[in-house]
Amino acid sequence: MASIHLQNIVKRYGGFVGVQNMSLDIADEEFLVLLGPSGCGKTTTMRMIAGLEEPTEGQIVIGGEVVNDIDARDRDVAMVFQGYALYPNMSIYENIRFPLRMRGIPASEHDARIRKAAEMVELGSFLDRKPGALSGGQRQRAALARAVVRQPQVFLMDEPLSNLDAKLRQSMRVQIKHMQRQLKVTTVYVTHDQIEAMTLADRIVIMNKGAIQQVGTPDEIYSDPANTFVAGFIGSPPMNLIQGTARDGRFTAPGISVPCPRFVHGQVTLGVRPEDCHVGGDNLQGQVYGVEPTGDVTYLTVLGGTNKIEVKAARDYRSDIDVAIGIAFDPAHLYFFDESGQRIRGAA
Amino acid sequence: MRTDAPSVPAGGVASATPDRSGNPPRRRSPALRKAFPYLLLAPAMIYLLAITLYPGLFAIYQSLFVVKFLNWTWTGLGNYSQILQDREFWAALGNTALIGGISLTLQTAIALTLAYFAYRDPLIRGWRIIFLMPMLFMPSAVAFIWKLAFNDGRVISDLLMSVGLVDGNVDWLASVWLARMTLIVADVWQWTPFLFIIFVAALQGQDQEIEEAARLDGASWPEIFWNISLPMMRPVIVVAVTLRGIDITTMFTNVFVMTQGTPGGATETMSYFIYRQGFRMFNFGYASAASVLMLILTIIIAQTVVKRAFHSGKK
Ligand SMILES: Nc1ncnc2c1ncn2[C@@H]1O[C@H](COP(=O)(O)OP(=O)(O)OP(=O)(O)O)[C@@H](O)[C@H]1O
Ligand SMILES: [Mg+2]
Repeated sequence: MASIHLQNIVKRYGGFVGVQNMSLDIADEEFLVLLGPSGCGKTTTMRMIAGLEEPTEGQIVIGGEVVNDIDARDRDVAMVFQGYALYPNMSIYENIRFPLRMRGIPASEHDARIRKAAEMVELGSFLDRKPGALSGGQRQRAALARAVVRQPQVFLMDEPLSNLDAKLRQSMRVQIKHMQRQLKVTTVYVTHDQIEAMTLADRIVIMNKGAIQQVGTPDEIYSDPANTFVAGFIGSPPMNLIQGTARDGRFTAPGISVPCPRFVHGQVTLGVRPEDCHVGGDNLQGQVYGVEPTGDVTYLTVLGGTNKIEVKAARDYRSDIDVAIGIAFDPAHLYFFDESGQRIRGAA
Repeated sequence: MRTDAPSVPAGGVASATPDRSGNPPRRRSPALRKAFPYLLLAPAMIYLLAITLYPGLFAIYQSLFVVKFLNWTWTGLGNYSQILQDREFWAALGNTALIGGISLTLQTAIALTLAYFAYRDPLIRGWRIIFLMPMLFMPSAVAFIWKLAFNDGRVISDLLMSVGLVDGNVDWLASVWLARMTLIVADVWQWTPFLFIIFVAALQGQDQEIEEAARLDGASWPEIFWNISLPMMRPVIVVAVTLRGIDITTMFTNVFVMTQGTPGGATETMSYFIYRQGFRMFNFGYASAASVLMLILTIIIAQTVVKRAFHSGKK
C-alpha cells in the first residue's frame, strides 16, 4: 500500500537509451497499466521500480521514501517475471510457499494461503509437480500465484497472462482485478494486449522508444489520443491515419473530403476510427478492397486514392471487391494531427 | 549435366584406368561404405586400446600368477585371497579413504564457499585463469614444494613459530595425524581451484532471473544459495566431486615425495602400496591383483554415487 513516484528517470545501457526522462506518479491503490510495443522499455521500468536495475538518473520514491539506494529485497514488492523465474528444484507448492517462508510469515498460515492462491489461478491439482513438468501457461499461473500469495506494498506484473488461451485469460483478468481491489495493493501491470489494458487499468501509460507518449484513463486514451502514435496503437483495428491538406475549413486527400475546424490548416493527418466510419455518404469515395466477416462485426477495407481505410460495418454487410462505395465519417469524432504527429487542439 | 567429363575417383584412391564410359563414378561396395567410418577411426581406436585396455587386461591376467620377473606360476585367485588377509592392504585402503575423504570434503567445502563469494564478482570472470595456477604446476614439483615447506625447509614450522603457535620445529613425520595432514594440505592446495572454477561456472550459468525472483521474495544471499543455487548445482557438484574422488584414490606423487608412507605406514595410500609391492618387492602378480581390486571398488563406489545423486535429483 504505497504510492510510487518516478522522477526524471533515465536508464542508459552504454550509449543506448532504454528509458528516457520518465516522470510518473502512481497513486496509492492504483492499477496502472504500461502499454507499448516490444522493446519500448516496459520491463526496464518495472525492474527499476523493483530495484533489480539501477536508474542511470532520477529518483524513485515508494511510499514517500526515496528507494534508489534500498535493496530490492527490502522494497517489499512482488513481481511476476516475464520469463516466470520459477525455482526449478522446488515443487509448485514450495515455489508459492517460498515468499511466505522468507518473509517470516507464521508456518500455520502457509497452507491455507498457498491453496487460496493456487485456487485463484486454477492450479490446485498441480501443486506437487516441479515447474519442468508444467506447460507454459501453467508455469505462468504458478508465477502469478507466487506473487499474490503475500500482501506486498506493490505488485509488479510483467505480461502475466501472455501465454494463456483467450478463455483463461478472461477469467484471470477478472480474478486479478478483483484481488487487487480487495487487497488494495498498488499495481503496475505490463501488457501487449489492449483489451487487458482497457479492462484492468485505472490509468494507462502508453510508451514508445523509452518515452511516455500519454498517460490517462482508458477512456481518455481511447477518445482523446495525444498523438498519432497513441492513436495508431490503441483500438483494433487501430485508427485510420490519413495524410492530406487542410485549407479554409476543409480537409482533402485523394478520394477524401471532410469539413474541419478553421484552426487546422496546412499539411495535417486526419485520424478516424473504423467504428466512426459508416457505409453510405460522400466523405470518402473509393472502391471496396476487402471484406472480413468476423461474426459479430464485419471489417471492410476501402481503397480511397492511395489510402486503405478500415471501416467497421454491420455484421451482415457483404460486398464484392472493386465495387464503388461511399463512406461517411462521423464529424464529431475526427482527430487532426500536425506534421510532427501531435494532436491539434482548438483554443479550449 | 555432365556427360563426358572424366570422373575423378572419389576418396582419392588412385585408379589406373580413367573411367571413359560416361557413367557416374563407381560407388564403393555397400560393405566397404559401412566400414569406412570405422576404418577412419581405427588408428585412434587402436592407439587408445593399446594404452588403456591392453594394460588393464594384462593386469587382470598377471594378477592370476605369482610373478618373479620372467618366471610366472599360475595361482588362480591365490593373490586375491592373500591380499584380503593382508593387514597392510586394509591399512592402505583405510588410509586412502581417510586422507582422500577428508581432503575431498575440505576442498569441496572450501571451493563452494569461495565460489559463493566470488561468482557475482565481475573481476573473477576475467581472472578465473589465475585460480587454476596450482593445477598447472607439475605434480612432482608441487610435491617437492610442500616437502620443502613442511619437512626440509621448515617454512611452515617457522611461520607457526613466528605467530607463537608452536615453540620448536615441528617434526611433521613423527605423528600419524600430522603426516596425514601434510598430504591433505598439499592436495587441497592443488585441487581446490579445480572445483572452484567448476562451481563458479555452474553458478554463473544459472538463470539470473531466478535469483532476482528470490531476492524479491525476501531471501538473503545465503538463503538463495542454500535453497536455490545449491540444489540447482547438484548434478555439477556430483560429477565434479566424483571425478576428483576417482582421481584422489590414485594419490601417489605427494606420498612418494613427501612421506613415503611414514610414520609406520600411516600415510601409505593404495597407489603407494601397489607401487611398493610391485617395484620394491617385485610381487608383480600381487600388485596387479591389488590394482584390480582397487579398480573394481572405485567403479562400484562411483557408480553408486552418481546413480543415487541423479536419481533422487530427478523425480
Ligand atoms: N541489459 C541490457 N543491456 C542493453 N540493452 C538492454 C538491456 N536490457 C534491455 N535493453 C534494451 O532496452 C530496451 C527496453 O527493453 P525492455 O525489456 O524494457 O523492453 P519491453 O518493453 O519490456 O519489451 P517486451 O514487450 O518485448 O518485453 C530494449 O531495446 C532492450 O534491447
Ligand atoms: Mg518486457
